[in-house]
Amino acid sequence: MSALDAPRAALAELTRPEGWVLGVSVAFLLFLLAALLTGALGPTYFLFLVGLAGMYALLSFGLNAQWGFTGLINFSVAAFFGIGAYGSALMTASGSPIAGGLDPLVGLVVALVVAFALALLIGIPTLRLRADYLAIASLGLAEVVRLIVLNERWLTNGSAGVRGIPGFFEGWPVLSTFPEAMPGLRLEVVPGSPILLETAFWQASLNVLLVLGFAGATFFVLRRAHRSPWGRVLRTIRSDEDLARALGKNTYSFKMQSFVLGSLIMALAGVFYTHLNLYVGPGDLDPITTFYAWVAVILGGSGSNRGALFGGIVIVTIREGTRFLNDVALPIDPAPLRLLLIGVVIVAVMRYRPQGILPPQRDLIWPSAVDGGGAPETPDSGVRERKGGGGDE
Amino acid sequence: MTVLGYLANGLVFSSIIVLGSIGLSLVYSIADFANFAHGDTMTIGAYTSLVTFGAVGGLGGAVLGLPYGFFVALLAGIAVAAVVAVGTEKLIYEPLDVDSIGLLITSIGIAFIYRAVIQIRFGSDFTRFDIQPLRPIEALVPYGIRVTLHDVAIVASAVVLVVGLHVLLQYTDLGRKMRAMADNPDLARVSGIRTRRVKLWTWVIGAGLAGAGGVFLGLFNQLSPRMGFNLLLVIFAAVILGGIGSVYGAMAGGFLIGMINQLTPFFSNVVEAIPIWPGWLAGVVRSLISIEYANAIAFVIMVLVLLIRPNGIAGEDAT
Repeated sequence: MSALDAPRAALAELTRPEGWVLGVSVAFLLFLLAALLTGALGPTYFLFLVGLAGMYALLSFGLNAQWGFTGLINFSVAAFFGIGAYGSALMTASGSPIAGGLDPLVGLVVALVVAFALALLIGIPTLRLRADYLAIASLGLAEVVRLIVLNERWLTNGSAGVRGIPGFFEGWPVLSTFPEAMPGLRLEVVPGSPILLETAFWQASLNVLLVLGFAGATFFVLRRAHRSPWGRVLRTIRSDEDLARALGKNTYSFKMQSFVLGSLIMALAGVFYTHLNLYVGPGDLDPITTFYAWVAVILGGSGSNRGALFGGIVIVTIREGTRFLNDVALPIDPAPLRLLLIGVVIVAVMRYRPQGILPPQRDLIWPSAVDGGGAPETPDSGVRERKGGGGDE
Repeated sequence: MTVLGYLANGLVFSSIIVLGSIGLSLVYSIADFANFAHGDTMTIGAYTSLVTFGAVGGLGGAVLGLPYGFFVALLAGIAVAAVVAVGTEKLIYEPLDVDSIGLLITSIGIAFIYRAVIQIRFGSDFTRFDIQPLRPIEALVPYGIRVTLHDVAIVASAVVLVVGLHVLLQYTDLGRKMRAMADNPDLARVSGIRTRRVKLWTWVIGAGLAGAGGVFLGLFNQLSPRMGFNLLLVIFAAVILGGIGSVYGAMAGGFLIGMINQLTPFFSNVVEAIPIWPGWLAGVVRSLISIEYANAIAFVIMVLVLLIRPNGIAGEDAT
């Protein structure tokens, strides 16, 4: 049943795209490992990238809970991300124009509460709208949020942004001093190019730990939710809202729950970003953040959590890879190159694989129902045959 | 500035918004999706005319403070915007096998590609047309109206284009087919209208007008790769206010949204002058109705219209 019990069988079960993704991922990992060992890629920067990938995965989990589960076209991802980031930053930072200096946990709670309120504020008017109106309206409202953050200087510092943000574990018993307490290490795997592990490295590992915690918890909550009766209603709404209504479901209420759940996860991504980057500015609420999350979700396959993870990694590769390319070869400004890549990825996915690279297949089914895991008489022509087709859902 | 001054500015800005919103509305009703690349089509028009104007120069005489060469550049901007839009339709949108939501998402990708190409070629800085800035028309200054001949040219050209479109829609064969298709595409097809050809013409007209709007926006403000995208939501607000699918509604919506946008500082003065409110409330409202929030006001109006009257002011039963 699991890949650990029977690796060969698990490999044989992969669909072609899954095989490709696995192959490319392994190659990419080996490449990164080589870069790490030869010192071409600093271990601290590597961990920063892992944290960033985890953050984008978290963002796309959130969007998945809205678009993948329920079919809500939410173009205000950046607003919720920004509210999470600003909520936490304004509570904890020394440079905060309001409260400031509070414990990051307070920041986390405040960020989630504000995001919850904003989700209701945006959701109540827009969730009754038709799909494409929802897209336009939510993008408009996200711009309103961005303009407020940019212009209300007494609250947000305006265009200067918020500085002096502490790490997430500041003030915790052991973890707050952990990076300083750890000794510096010097590894020399390849002769002549030593790898230094210093305070910054330990700090970065804490961040990775944090995002793994956030993303892991989110992943399990979402998987459980998606398979539950509640998730089934959402899927019904996605494929045919009138049907769901005819079955006596209050679709508006279900859409709102899905919207709020997704928005809270996006805010969580924002909170993590605050304590990873240690600076937030109004630029973080730019619509491009929304579209990064969208690329991650449609690339991975809407409704698929594995896909969200994969999409997050691709986004970081595009975002940071273009920066890297710029150092090496191209005399072009990386910003438009990034934009071009994002655009090409969107168009290519919609053209050649509108259901995404890793559409949800077994994600939606209890494992015990497949492969004789206790289920009585699994029919032979079950999931395994259909998955080759790779239709949507 | 006086009320008249704000109204005059509003008229100029409205002309630009109207040109943008007609195309968005046409494509929305005939190709049946919200085209997020429409704003960047305007940018393409603007930059094409920038390049063309740089190449052809002034060409002797001038009308309304604009050299002849500028009008050549305007035509080039319209033409290239139309060609790019038709090319995108043929290459990308037509072969796609997705629903209108899929097309919407694809158009975002297209918008990014347009903008990225412009940014790679021209950088992300602001530029302007190489035309001498004019002084406001002397005769109007006593009334508090500060408009230049260029602004007059923008309004006049927009009026010409809009009237031309009206004639096309009402008195030509193509116009009748377009109206039939916007009304009911299936019925149009079974009635023997070659819907694909009409669709292509829709793209040509919509993108051409957007290109013109972009050129005028560049003349009114400045050019930057983000100019069209920044205007996109305002244009959506106009189209939704007017009622999606109605070209005349889009004109009305564009006019209203453009006016409201430019009249924002005036409204803010009015709010302050109203004596019945407690001072602090007036202060809060005033700070919200400020020039920084001019676009935000348009978005809020858009959401309110969607809630109260989803078919807009002129829409009948757009579904």
